[in-house]
Amino acid sequence: MPRNIPLFTFNRCTSVEVVGDNELRSVCRLRDSVTDAEIAVNVRLPDLEIIGISGYFHHDRLQPPADLDAHLRRVVGVRVGSGMLKIIAGLLGEDENCRQLVYMVEECCHGVILNLTRKVLLQAPDDEAGSFAFFSGLVKKSTRLYDRCAAYAAGSPLVREFEAEKQERESSS
Amino acid sequence: MSSQFMRSKLINVCRLDNNTLVVHGVLDDSIYSLELDFKVELAGLGCFDVEGRWLRWTTPECPRSLEFIRLVEGLKLTDPVSERVHKTLGRRSCRHYANLFLEMVYAVRETVRMLELDLPGAALSEPEPPAEADEAGDEPEKVSSTVASPERTASRGFSQKPAGGFIVDLHLHTAPASPCASDSVAEMIVVAKKRGLDGICLTDHNYLWSEKEVQKLRERHDFLILRGNEVVTDQGDMLVFGFHEEIRGVVRLRDLKEQVAARGGFIIAAHPFRGFLTFAADDIGLTVESASRREMFKWVDGVEVLNGRVTENENRLAREVAAALHLPATGGSDAHQVSEVGRCATLFPAPFHDETGLVAALRSGDYRPLSLSGD
Ligand SMILES: [Zn+2]
Repeated sequence: MPRNIPLFTFNRCTSVEVVGDNELRSVCRLRDSVTDAEIAVNVRLPDLEIIGISGYFHHDRLQPPADLDAHLRRVVGVRVGSGMLKIIAGLLGEDENCRQLVYMVEECCHGVILNLTRKVLLQAPDDEAGSFAFFSGLVKKSTRLYDRCAAYAAGSPLVREFEAEKQERESSS
Repeated sequence: MSSQFMRSKLINVCRLDNNTLVVHGVLDDSIYSLELDFKVELAGLGCFDVEGRWLRWTTPECPRSLEFIRLVEGLKLTDPVSERVHKTLGRRSCRHYANLFLEMVYAVRETVRMLELDLPGAALSEPEPPAEADEAGDEPEKVSSTVASPERTASRGFSQKPAGGFIVDLHLHTAPASPCASDSVAEMIVVAKKRGLDGICLTDHNYLWSEKEVQKLRERHDFLILRGNEVVTDQGDMLVFGFHEEIRGVVRLRDLKEQVAARGGFIIAAHPFRGFLTFAADDIGLTVESASRREMFKWVDGVEVLNGRVTENENRLAREVAAALHLPATGGSDAHQVSEVGRCATLFPAPFHDETGLVAALRSGDYRPLSLSGD
């Protein structure tokens, strides 16, 4: 086989769209050399509760649950947010046949979060100083960002102010 | 119908020579654009020559993540790698690289299976989808918190406590019972005593301490140690007291409530608004009113409004919702290591000495959350 012809190709696309007044629909599609699958999750705002889900899953080797939609509906009522991964995996099962399915549901939920994240990021100024101030302000507001990646690692210029304020709080008390 | 956000991931796996695969991946979405390349030696599925490239990123410091891109070199893709990749690449570099890398690992494994390639000496573990990508910011470790403090014993640090009353940390994890905790129960107890607490509740995740074990600890340390449990439900984490059935997997809160109520136990919604990395509840228009309508509040007996590991705003929202719903409010450190023990606790007016006493005290509704945090 020639080197420049792939043995395996993979294409996953997740998209989030607004449907209705307070609802988002997030769809994850996976097409690879052995898979054709799609999962759609509807989420209500502002509480980010999953209110609908459906999909299909074809794979050369894996067998999804017989009534897939009924199986997926176990996650209706779960909220997108902290702790969701263990809840979704727990409800849908961690059987080999379900793992990719579970991942696709999670990917839909991450899409919803990234969609909201994008809205926050759209407020970032374009100029260097403004952008720096915006992103170092973000860690002060969302302390969870601190030390969670290279950009917000301890000692990074972006967290200097945050660290100074933290130290001040600690020493003044 | 207009799409607001789109994320595409493209991956291909080619053969470089008889012993090597080359993997190329692209993640391009409405925020980021990045690429990863690496090679895999077919003999043991070891990964090497990892290279990353940013095309679009957000913060001015994102490019620093490339300094850590090689942390995944040497990983054997025959083993489960997801947790390790999130801890190394995800935490030190960037979680979007970790996300793409794990998708590429999946592609490699599917390739190997599809081609029925012979892997001498290595049974390939099941294709492991890249779970635990943590877009929700959902990882308890090392959350640096600024705790709201309605009842702050301000500026006096941990060792101070208000005169009178009985202070119990209702939410605490120990190793090894909770895999996410790092210090042992003995270490936690010693620190709890030093910080002036009157008692602690062990609320390890879906883990049951035996009465005997706890009794032994009480005697050895001459300290009040009570059993609880932090249960994962479809509505989030719940602290459960006075209920000692083993719970496996994720349960429906409604079912849990039925069982706990039948035993006369008590359920507290743990950190009900623990939130996201880059935006807060108010950014998505979550108000006290809409938050109060959540299904979970129909089934709980109390709300943890002062948790040691969430942000001030998240605790504030919990406090306001509990007040609006007239639900009793508690505090707990949610400590996973000794430095966090007793950061938040619950102040009861009178002492109790056992689990029956604790549940009766919780039922009375007469207590308040307390921050003993020095910061
Ligand atoms: Zn906890």
